[in-house]
Amino acid sequence: MEDIAKDILIRASQGDMRAFEVVYKASSSFVYNVALRVVNNREDALEVSQEVFLIIHHKLKTFRFESSFKTWAYRITANTAINFAKKSSRAKTVPFEESFGEGAVLNEAHTQMDQEQQNQIVEKLLGELNPDQRACVVLRDIQGLSYEEIAQALNININTVRSRLKRSREKLLSVRRQVDYEKV
Amino acid sequence: MKKCEHFRDLILTDHIDGQLDKNAAGSLENHLLKCSDCREFFKEIKDKATLPWAQALRQPVPAELWIKIQEKIENEERSSDLISDLLDRIKGLIVYPRLVPVLASLVLMLLVGSVTVNTIQIKQAQEKDQGEYLVSLLSSSSQAESNDLGTPIEHYFL
Repeated sequence: MEDIAKDILIRASQGDMRAFEVVYKASSSFVYNVALRVVNNREDALEVSQEVFLIIHHKLKTFRFESSFKTWAYRITANTAINFAKKSSRAKTVPFEESFGEGAVLNEAHTQMDQEQQNQIVEKLLGELNPDQRACVVLRDIQGLSYEEIAQALNININTVRSRLKRSREKLLSVRRQVDYEKV
Repeated sequence: MKKCEHFRDLILTDHIDGQLDKNAAGSLENHLLKCSDCREFFKEIKDKATLPWAQALRQPVPAELWIKIQEKIENEERSSDLISDLLDRIKGLIVYPRLVPVLASLVLMLLVGSVTVNTIQIKQAQEKDQGEYLVSLLSSSSQAESNDLGTPIEHYFL
């Protein structure tokens, strides 16, 4: 997420829509992509992103700059997306083995795959994880946040971040091994 | 082996994410040089559990998102304007402080007046009822007398 100047944030908090648009432009890619990967479908991601920006718009008035805006926005985004995914049954997708068990090119390099197929694989793999694990994987492996930043965003301790990542990766490894085994 | 288990836990998290300090990273590297199973595990984890994410493309944000957000904010501001307008009007009435005691005393007078009228009406109704009752008693005794035909046989039986 891009850095946002303090005066822009102050103006946005006072109701200046042009300043709020700057905030939106700097953070919308992060918010939408995290939402998309955690809720795992486009319509829900739009709904979650909209909710995130409405929360930011409301709460900017009380934002005191004690923590960074980035950390604050990470937290709002992750919590809104996780809560939505937990409530929504649509987040559950078809198991990875069923979708990619036969015919899918799952060599490690993925060089032959087109973007669409790549995207489908990411969606299906994320569908194997629960919303808490998904959020950790998305923030770490897709958005590149540090353990410390993830812990702050999700309001959990670093060891919980570690254990969620560990379990997620073990789960993904076992799913991929299963697919490879069925192909043989 | 317990040692391998410990190193695999590190591989699954801190090592792959570049969060290990120099000492821990050094001892893991030494172990990987000696242990082919852990080397294989590390390669497998990298290829199967983290590579797909590295290749996940950032999706473009749909243009409709900003439009929807703007609409929502405008709607909310409009409705909050309506509420604050209404509150201002109510406040505007209270701004004239002289009106308040006049209105309050009027309401009080109306209340007291209605209570007094009610009490008088109830009293009058009670008095009227009592009068009617006495009249009905008198009329019933005179009616009994009028049934008496004054014959000796009736006197005998009465």
